[in-house]
Amino acid sequence: MTQPFAFDATDTNIVEQLRKNGRANNQQIAEKLGLTATTVSTRIKRLEDANQLRVVAVSDFAAHGFNVLLRISVTVDGRPASEVAQELAELDEVFAVHLVTGRYDIDMLVALRDFDDLSHFLLDELSGIRGIRTLTPAIVVDIIKYAFDVAPIESRD
Amino acid sequence: MATNPNLDQLDIQLIDLLARDARVSNRKIAVELGVTEGTVRGRIKRLQQDGLIAFTAITGFEMGTRARLAFINVQANADKVREVAAQIADLPSINAVLITMGQFNITAMCLIDELDTLVEIASDRILSLSGVHHVETSIAVKTAKYNSRMAKITPRTDPIDED
Repeated sequence: MTQPFAFDATDTNIVEQLRKNGRANNQQIAEKLGLTATTVSTRIKRLEDANQLRVVAVSDFAAHGFNVLLRISVTVDGRPASEVAQELAELDEVFAVHLVTGRYDIDMLVALRDFDDLSHFLLDELSGIRGIRTLTPAIVVDIIKYAFDVAPIESRD
Repeated sequence: MATNPNLDQLDIQLIDLLARDARVSNRKIAVELGVTEGTVRGRIKRLQQDGLIAFTAITGFEMGTRARLAFINVQANADKVREVAAQIADLPSINAVLITMGQFNITAMCLIDELDTLVEIASDRILSLSGVHHVETSIAVKTAKYNSRMAKITPRTDPIDED
């Protein structure tokens, strides 16, 4: 994990501008905030280098051809849940895996192209992971909101 | 959910490139993908207009705030599900609301700084909505994978700035 990093008011203002439009160039941001383009560029680079900020294109599930979204709650038996979570994380279909408190041990979100992909996912992929005791699926029938602007940030290679 | 509209190889390459860094210039993208700057500009504009990509800034999960992801699982009366889901989506600090078929019919996700916030959102505000009869919460204590580059893009109210 990175060491504590303090965002000052200038950082926060720049991030706010980038949330509105991540493609705004340094000059446009500078003009809005009364800074120089160099300051904007330096600040953004510093935040990115410290793995505190990524300015990215977020794409819609549909852009990837994912038409089926499942939320699957998992209970684990006879094996550390974090090991099972790690193996689940390696599957392409799984786009989020969390160890959670409560009646289940792991919560995951799975994206599939269509229901035909489910048998392969269940019978060829999940079945190979030791320690999964139960799978409780929920089919996502509608997404009312799905927007995260805070997320774990991986370092760039 | 919408079906995949006609995305060609160039669109997909463009999405991949911008998912790594959205601040790369059209000129650089054009050189990398071997197309003109005008093509890059046109494609990006179309993808944005079709609601397939959006550009945003993502800040670190564990920075300063020590935010944790929490799930709020809700059982609501079937005839009130859409209404309740919309009301939950409007609550502060709720990042995601899914209507599901399963043990619960609504799952909300939120980022919380402290337990009190979760209790207030789940046990006070959501549980008291008309049509809600059961709420369960769970907190993500460790994240093994999270793909923040994929989301449901909803139309934004402010216009997209031109380059």
